[in-house]
Amino acid sequence: MDSHFLARRIHSLTGIVPVGLFLVYHLYLQLYLHSGAEVYNKVINGFYDSPLAIWALVIVVYIPLFFHAFFGIRLIFESSVQPSYTYFSHLLFWLQRISGIGVLLFIIAHVWNAQLGPWIAGTWGTHFEHLSSGFSDPDSGMITKAVYLLGTLGAVFHFSNGLNTFCMTWGIALTPKSQIRVRIFSIFLFFILAASALYALSAIW
Amino acid sequence: MTDTVTFKIKRQDSKSSSSYWETFTIPYVPNSNVISCLMDIQANPINAKGEEVTPVVWESNCLEEVCGTCTMVINGKVRQSCSALVDQLEKPIKLEPMSKFPLVRDLVVDRTRMFSALKKVQAWVNADGYHDLGPGGRLSQEHQETAYKLSECMTCGCCVEACPQYSSGNNFLGAAAISQSRLFNMHPTAKNMAGERLDTLMQEGGIADCGNAQNCVEACPKSIPLTESIAEMGRQVSDKLWHNIFKA
Ligand code: HEM
Ligand code: SF4
Ligand code: SF4
Ligand code: FES
Repeated sequence: MDSHFLARRIHSLTGIVPVGLFLVYHLYLQLYLHSGAEVYNKVINGFYDSPLAIWALVIVVYIPLFFHAFFGIRLIFESSVQPSYTYFSHLLFWLQRISGIGVLLFIIAHVWNAQLGPWIAGTWGTHFEHLSSGFSDPDSGMITKAVYLLGTLGAVFHFSNGLNTFCMTWGIALTPKSQIRVRIFSIFLFFILAASALYALSAIW
Repeated sequence: MTDTVTFKIKRQDSKSSSSYWETFTIPYVPNSNVISCLMDIQANPINAKGEEVTPVVWESNCLEEVCGTCTMVINGKVRQSCSALVDQLEKPIKLEPMSKFPLVRDLVVDRTRMFSALKKVQAWVNADGYHDLGPGGRLSQEHQETAYKLSECMTCGCCVEACPQYSSGNNFLGAAAISQSRLFNMHPTAKNMAGERLDTLMQEGGIADCGNAQNCVEACPKSIPLTESIAEMGRQVSDKLWHNIFKA
């Protein structure tokens, strides 16, 4: 067993636990956008009230995500384009890689916009107002909205399709039949998570 | 149907020279295949410009899609040229050598890497002497059906040619060898070496290099369930990983 094998398995695992689970939890929290500024801010600040919050974020989310993203970029360069083989799974294979890059760029923009920016500016705590004013800004609002729309859809696709390939990588979905079942499930999951994300965004659109 | 067929062939005179396209137009023969046309070109090696050139070199053997030697890229897709019927191909017919292996000449490539991969996964039944081992155990019908399908692999290279993860820059074993390690890990005698096969699959170039693009299973002319084999071996190495962490 060499380090590349281990790294690949850790990469695969971190995509689901913890990063993927965090994504689902994170999308769930965003549904509170529909409950108005007061409730939303209370929910988000409630998370940060814990003295462990920042540690939890770093250990459970940022470090695994950083590893997954860093190793993911390495993997992209290991693949070679085979344009004449136009199969659906092959398309998904490349969309997985393209969405990975998109998600990385989005996460950088998102962490800056929603976390580091307000922290540095000293406006931390009024999350709802910060997000909705960013969305309705006459100059940059459209761009912010577009970035959030593409970023969330990209993340949801990457996670759902990743769950599909995860089940092959670890030998969970063994037969062609079970692989189709898992694919159908992952398509279903994509639509559920995408609907949830779009519904959350609609509160401040 | 026209009475001639045109071939565009990607040629290269030696390992180190550069490649070029050459066009040949030959008389149409009903029910011909790509190999029979290459034979016609060999017999009368005159290109479309009317120049006499060196005959095009290719490999073939069984002429019935069981040996795998005649594999090449036809109209952009990898397949066996002996079973590629001219009547069913878009014209002009484009022939290229496989791109994942060192080129020897014209359409001939060196597939040694595929056979080394089979050696690495010990794709054989290990017997450590000449003594009588007695009769083997009876195998279930289900076992036979699975094993028979896997045993049809002819190491042709279609699966790795279509694979986005297999390149001259890495040493990925490829889908065929992973599938063969499954075949021998299920064999009652060969499975004694199952652990060693899994160790190989967990090394650099092993199963972790697969990115689940699933082109291999689409490209395999023998319809071998390669993604099933990859998932099955993924499960076996998962078990081994668990074993290594908690039980070793
Ligand atoms: C929202 C954050 C992310 C989540 C939830 C996530 C989740 C996943 C999952 C579950 C897989 C499947 C693993 C497998 O097939 O075994 C995966 C694969 C992959 N991820 Fe991510 N990922 C995220 C961010 C990223 C980023 C930022 C990159 C870097 C550009 C990236 C690059 C990749 C690549 C290249 C693969 C394909 C690996 C393969 O198929 O072999 N991911 N991801
Ligand atoms: S698995 Fe199929 S495509 Fe691959 S070498 Fe064997 S027969 Fe050819
Ligand atoms: S599933 Fe894809 S990456 Fe894996 S061996 Fe087959 S073609 Fe290559
Ligand atoms: S000559 Fe044997 S497969 Fe074509």
